[in-house]
Amino acid sequence: MVEKVTLARPYAKAAFEAARDSKDFARWSEMLAAAAATVADQRVVKLLSSPRVQPADLVELIAEASKADEHGRNFLNTLAQNRRLAVLPEVAAMYEELRADVENITDVHVTSAVQLDEAQRTRLVAALKKRLKREVRLHCAVDATLIGGAVVRAGDFVIDGSLKARLERLAAQIMH
Amino acid sequence: MAIKASEISDLIKARIEKFASASEERNIGTVVTVTDGIVRIHGLADAKYGEMLEFPGGSFGLALNLEQDSVGAVVLGEYKHITEGDTVKTTGRILEVPVGEGLLGRVVDSLGKPIDGKGPIKAAHNSPIERVAPGVVFRKSVSQPVQTGYKAIDAMVPIGRGQRELIIGDRQTGKTALAIDTIINQKSSGIKCIYVAIGQKQSSIANVVRKLEEHDAMKHTIIVAASASVPASMQYLAPYSGCAMGEFFMDRGEDALIIYDDLTKQAWAYRQMSLLLRRPPGREAYPGDVFYLHSRLLERSARVNEEYVEKKSGGKVKGKTGSLTGLPIIETQAGDVTAFVPTNVISITDGQIFLEGDLFNAGIRPAMNAGVSVSRVGGAAQTKLISKLSGGIKLSLAQYRELAAFSQFASDLDESTRKQLERGQRVTEMMKQKQYAPMSVAEMALSIYAVNNGYMDKIELKKVSAFEAGLQAFAKTNYKQQMDAMNASPLLSPENEAALKKISEEFASTGTY
Repeated sequence: MVEKVTLARPYAKAAFEAARDSKDFARWSEMLAAAAATVADQRVVKLLSSPRVQPADLVELIAEASKADEHGRNFLNTLAQNRRLAVLPEVAAMYEELRADVENITDVHVTSAVQLDEAQRTRLVAALKKRLKREVRLHCAVDATLIGGAVVRAGDFVIDGSLKARLERLAAQIMH
Repeated sequence: MAIKASEISDLIKARIEKFASASEERNIGTVVTVTDGIVRIHGLADAKYGEMLEFPGGSFGLALNLEQDSVGAVVLGEYKHITEGDTVKTTGRILEVPVGEGLLGRVVDSLGKPIDGKGPIKAAHNSPIERVAPGVVFRKSVSQPVQTGYKAIDAMVPIGRGQRELIIGDRQTGKTALAIDTIINQKSSGIKCIYVAIGQKQSSIANVVRKLEEHDAMKHTIIVAASASVPASMQYLAPYSGCAMGEFFMDRGEDALIIYDDLTKQAWAYRQMSLLLRRPPGREAYPGDVFYLHSRLLERSARVNEEYVEKKSGGKVKGKTGSLTGLPIIETQAGDVTAFVPTNVISITDGQIFLEGDLFNAGIRPAMNAGVSVSRVGGAAQTKLISKLSGGIKLSLAQYRELAAFSQFASDLDESTRKQLERGQRVTEMMKQKQYAPMSVAEMALSIYAVNNGYMDKIELKKVSAFEAGLQAFAKTNYKQQMDAMNASPLLSPENEAALKKISEEFASTGTY
């Protein structure tokens, strides 16, 4: 069993390098996002594994939906030939990671107990910039079950400063 | 038991004071699959090999496979509550178990948690379960004996402190009995014992504990139990945890003895884990590193010098050597020692005690095959008294077996051959010993002296055991002082030899057996 991310890695890298060489990150981003959305559609999922559908027809469908240019079509053709169109969502996600990496931007998800106001956001972004040593794109969410504080997540890296986690650790400390 | 409310509140207060309230920084991942105790986790980019991972619900795992996009981990203990999509955190710690004097007399699981219902363990220290064995410079050669209390073993395959002696044999040949009797015999020797039960029935483990309690041997014993019902990961870890507990005593200049019962089952548990982790199978479907699995464990059994003990104890213990004697047990299938795991462990250890089903059924217990059982380093550690007395016993037994096989074809034998045969039969008979009846050095010496010097030659073969029992009882009632002196200085001095001779002669002349 090979994981989808492993299958997606060479394609994402190829797409990323093509975009970098043509200095056209934004268009590739749009194209891959649209293609990924198409492939994820329930109706398309059925077609992907159907033996009656020709790969060329699939490419035509996806290319039209994602408004792919010539390079994009070639990319989709390669995927289709190798029967890997299903990994397009992973390719798109990984492409975004690679792009963010080279543009020195990190997506940071902040979940807080209460809505953050503008001043708090600015302070948080400044602090995170210092901590992660890169530009920060903030995504905020509210989760009242945290009781207080916030959880900051950047990829695999997590800073848990919520009251809930502190209480849980306190409980563990007392019990063991 | 009454607990004062103030005590609890003090305890909680102390815990809370220690509690650092800073927000925690962790590396996280998501569970992708859970299959038979093996969890595949996406993410965890910073996880290290062998690091402990925290699962929801307070359970822990061990990162064993680090791959490009995922981490393969085993869950320690129950895994039914872990589901796909759960968040897994790294802890930055490696697995540790409590060690120390507080564990003596207790039954614990592979993680050092008590399972005997006697309350929490008071252990002042923790020790990582995987540790590199002491280096060459810190080692000392084996020179002190571990008395098993069995005539056959202490005379023919002596075991020294710090030695690794394999006990190998089919099922039901007395492997565990031998190990348990060795523990019982350490009551007054000061050797701390650790009995690691791997993949055994709970009832067998309970039996061992009960027997040790009956013989007052739990005081110096720790039992690490990973029964057949616990997950494979716990069975795999049990020997390493037990070893860490033994190393504690070795590091402090004491002597310890560890019994792994048995390593075959541990190899099975490891095979199960490895196959589920999708590591390529090799011979007998074991993974490629099954030799290393046992060699790194048994290498930790050692005799260490004074310098090592001083360094490890932080200068508190000076001028003392430490040792950890290892008695691994391997169960063979129909006497096949050429299988993968038996050959591996035979080549790692410093000798083996080979127990045979045929001998066991013929009533020779311990069912040791004296021909193939060897001790490669124990000779230097053997008690001088026994080594002098039993010098030729192994050789003469070998000659006897050859003669016995040959004489089956001969109708009448010459006098010397007949005598040799009869002596051999009597030695074999004398070597028999009941379970839970370990003997002291002096007692062994007396039995061996009597048979070697022909005092049993005239006794009917069936009555040899009775004669021996009578001889021991006679010595105990009439020559206690001499026997005690012999135990105190176990050398073949003229006084000791004279005493042995006197007891044997006097008893033989009374004929009360």
